[in-house]
Amino acid sequence: MHIRLNEQLLQLTSNCTVAELLQQQQLASEGLAVAINNTVISKRCWSEHKLQSNDNVQLFQIVTGG
Amino acid sequence: MLQIADKTFNSRLLLGSGKFASSQLMQQAVKVSNCQLVTLAIKRLELNKPQDDLLTPLRNLNIKLLPNTAGAKTAKEAIFAAELARDALQTSWLKLEIHPDPRYLMPDPVETLLAAERLVKMGFVVLPYCSADPVLCKRLEQAGCAAVMPLGAAIGSNQGLQTRAMLEIIIEQAQVPVIIDAGLGAPSHAAAAMELGAAAVLVNTAIASSADPVAMAGAFANAVRAGRAAYLAGLASAQPQAVASSPFTDFLTTL
Repeated sequence: MHIRLNEQLLQLTSNCTVAELLQQQQLASEGLAVAINNTVISKRCWSEHKLQSNDNVQLFQIVTGG
Repeated sequence: MLQIADKTFNSRLLLGSGKFASSQLMQQAVKVSNCQLVTLAIKRLELNKPQDDLLTPLRNLNIKLLPNTAGAKTAKEAIFAAELARDALQTSWLKLEIHPDPRYLMPDPVETLLAAERLVKMGFVVLPYCSADPVLCKRLEQAGCAAVMPLGAAIGSNQGLQTRAMLEIIIEQAQVPVIIDAGLGAPSHAAAAMELGAAAVLVNTAIASSADPVAMAGAFANAVRAGRAAYLAGLASAQPQAVASSPFTDFLTTL
């Protein structure tokens, strides 16, 4: 199945969870936030929330700012 | 002690973490300033770009992290950014900022008030960056904001307390801490804000863009302490004419 990950098309072999996706992308969870189809998915749901085909996944990170 | 919501802080200087040449330099400036609240932003992650561990060193300094909603142009966008920031940092504290116009970055008062009302109901501790408008500040306070953050001048402009007369009214009326945010370009501006009775100031560009940000962070910390001490001591009033400091006796008139 395909998802969009920060505007890039990504093929996934199965309905993986958000946590598994982040692991595949080698991303640490600290300072990271995830929205799927414009809804924020809370960190405590990352290991259960399964991605669906055509999901629009957006990853955000904390950066410096004033 | 500065109290915001249920937290107390020894320092009345808040630091913005943007525009530093490196995150190491930012961390050193934070350390030297002894500040306890540091603002951060949130943005879309750039895939395939190594992540810089910004947070661990700040957490080690025992700093309270205050994410902002910079980039939001509407209340709706700010609320989305707030939810992301809350999850990313596991904090409900938020510096709300909504500025649709990139040229002057003036905060949108209508969208800011709308967002503040909603975010307070969602359980956020909201510190809104806002115009130096006494009525707006009162409305934000009534909406349940934990502090108000009126601007001294445009963000990053280093112009100091251009809004001084309005800030005096805001401070006089406020029941929540008034944190002067934006535009403070020199330690003397920060001291002047504190002398007015501001609860705290937030500084970023003036430190980060100075020739020696670490030394400048220390200079601002000193200025904030001096300004606060002067406010507590009670400033002598200004007079239109000279008032002699030495006795005018007539011991020289015999010459």
